[in-house]
Amino acid sequence: MVSTMVSDATPLITFQNVSKTYPNGTEALREVSLDVPRQDFVFLVGPSGAGKSTLVRLLIREERATTGKIFVDGQELGRLKRRQLPHLRRKIGIVFQDFKLLPNLTVFQNVGFAVRVTDGELRHLKPKVEEVLSIVGLDGKEKKFPDELSGGEQQRVAIARALVHDPKIFLADEPTGNLDPATSWEILQLLLQINARGTTVLMATHNREIVDVMRRRVIAIESGRIARDEDAGGYHAQANLESR
Amino acid sequence: MLRRIWNRAEFAASSAWQNFWRNATVSVAGLLIVWVVLLALGSLLLGLHSLDEVVNVEKSRASVISIFLADSTPLSSAMDFKAHLERDPRVSAVTFVTKDQAMEKFRQMPALSPEVVESLGTNPLPASLDVTVHDIRDLAAIDKEVRASPLVDKSPATNYEPSVIDKIILLARVAGIAGLVLIIALTALSIFIIMLTIRTAIYLRRKEIEVMKLVGATDWFVRWPFILEGIMTGGAGAILAVAIVGFGYRPAVQNLQSVLIFVPFFYDPNFLRVVLAAMLAFGMFLGVFGSYLGVRRFLHQ
Ligand SMILES: Nc1ncnc2c1ncn2[C@@H]1O[C@H](COP(=O)(O)OP(=O)(O)OP(=O)(O)O)[C@@H](O)[C@H]1O
Ligand SMILES: [Mg+2]
Repeated sequence: MVSTMVSDATPLITFQNVSKTYPNGTEALREVSLDVPRQDFVFLVGPSGAGKSTLVRLLIREERATTGKIFVDGQELGRLKRRQLPHLRRKIGIVFQDFKLLPNLTVFQNVGFAVRVTDGELRHLKPKVEEVLSIVGLDGKEKKFPDELSGGEQQRVAIARALVHDPKIFLADEPTGNLDPATSWEILQLLLQINARGTTVLMATHNREIVDVMRRRVIAIESGRIARDEDAGGYHAQANLESR
Repeated sequence: MLRRIWNRAEFAASSAWQNFWRNATVSVAGLLIVWVVLLALGSLLLGLHSLDEVVNVEKSRASVISIFLADSTPLSSAMDFKAHLERDPRVSAVTFVTKDQAMEKFRQMPALSPEVVESLGTNPLPASLDVTVHDIRDLAAIDKEVRASPLVDKSPATNYEPSVIDKIILLARVAGIAGLVLIIALTALSIFIIMLTIRTAIYLRRKEIEVMKLVGATDWFVRWPFILEGIMTGGAGAILAVAIVGFGYRPAVQNLQSVLIFVPFFYDPNFLRVVLAAMLAFGMFLGVFGSYLGVRRFLHQ
């Protein structure tokens, strides 16, 4: 696929028979195929060790697929050279369960860090940081340090940082794993808002309540295989739900 | 564009500076070892250069042999002997030096005080025939032949001393090899310590590096602070060493000149400049190479 042929109709993310075997022999993904169209919102569910984080790591090419092909925005990740990785990663915003904020930097500096280290336009740094901080609802907290914030607020800072490059894809690997139910819902609202602005969102989660209430697309992975891929799905397969 | 370059430079410099002080012990160790290596290198180069010059002077001196004549020798016999030597194909020139001329030369030796000269009383110095040869390898044979002549003084007969030059050359060679071995060992050690410094810095910044990669920083953006830290360490060690050698060379030569009065030591400012430049370049090289090794294995995820 050549990038000039990319249109809105081509999926933003495509996995073609992707398998991943770690050097120690663990088969984390087996023959995974899936398409994620632009502006989709996808929950990635499955038991611990199923391969959700592996899929996320493949998308930012922190790991390479052992076999099969992965396309992101028309580019085949296996063909990317090492020096092209920064550009892939600027198209993808990513947050984790453990926030990954730098403790010695303020909220403003943590978000601005992503601009500085990527040679971003410095003239736009301040307005951009203020813009994303107001999207995540943290205006007024610019000068606070991470340890002065609640878990939910820290995750908002991480989300703001992931947004400074206006990513096409937003990956969230268990973003609510460390948060209480109410705060988890707030974070989810934020992700929905980001999705509504046109960004494709992929969220790996163990949060059953959220998945079941939202009724969005659900991709369930079990032992490295796609067990289920349904629109408006629940955390467990339909049969399970009905038998309750 | 300028702002962007400034941003990069400022980021790298402030990170490097922080890194240096964050693990100050290892950093200072790296700086000191670079300093020691460069001091050794500078001293060795200057020392060998001095010995080299001494050897050259001694060699040119050595192509002349003074044949001392007994005080009883009549002038005519001395002149016959001179003519005989001049006919020898191995000889390029012969000069007759009278007792008075010998005394005059002796007076002019820089290290002798006038009192010493006065205390000698009557002139004890012999007249001599100073023979210059084409090839210093013929000196030994000529020395042997002239000793048989009855005209020649017996204590001493000539000033022929074959071993001095050989000894100096041997000294230079031993000092050169020993110094080289020392410098190679210290070089390896300093590269290793700088590499260690950089790895410690990378370890302390692992979280930051992880975030940088996630948000799409380039490899070089991540590497620069650490390379710069190496350059700073090597450069600081080099500047300290250059200052010491630069200011210490002239006093050291003067000291040697006053202790070893018969050895022709020289102060050579041109060579000093070359040595200082070499030290600075080598210090930078140690820093860059050490940090490159530190960065290479550890930032390749
Ligand atoms: N770097 C690695 N080296 C070797 N094996 C790994 C590595 N990372 C993950 N694995 C293994 O691959 C499998 C899938 O792991 P992965 O982290 O993708 O699961 P997950 O679905 O994210 O689990 P969780 O819900 O607990 O986060 C597991 O068996 C795990 O032990
Ligand atoms: Mg995981």
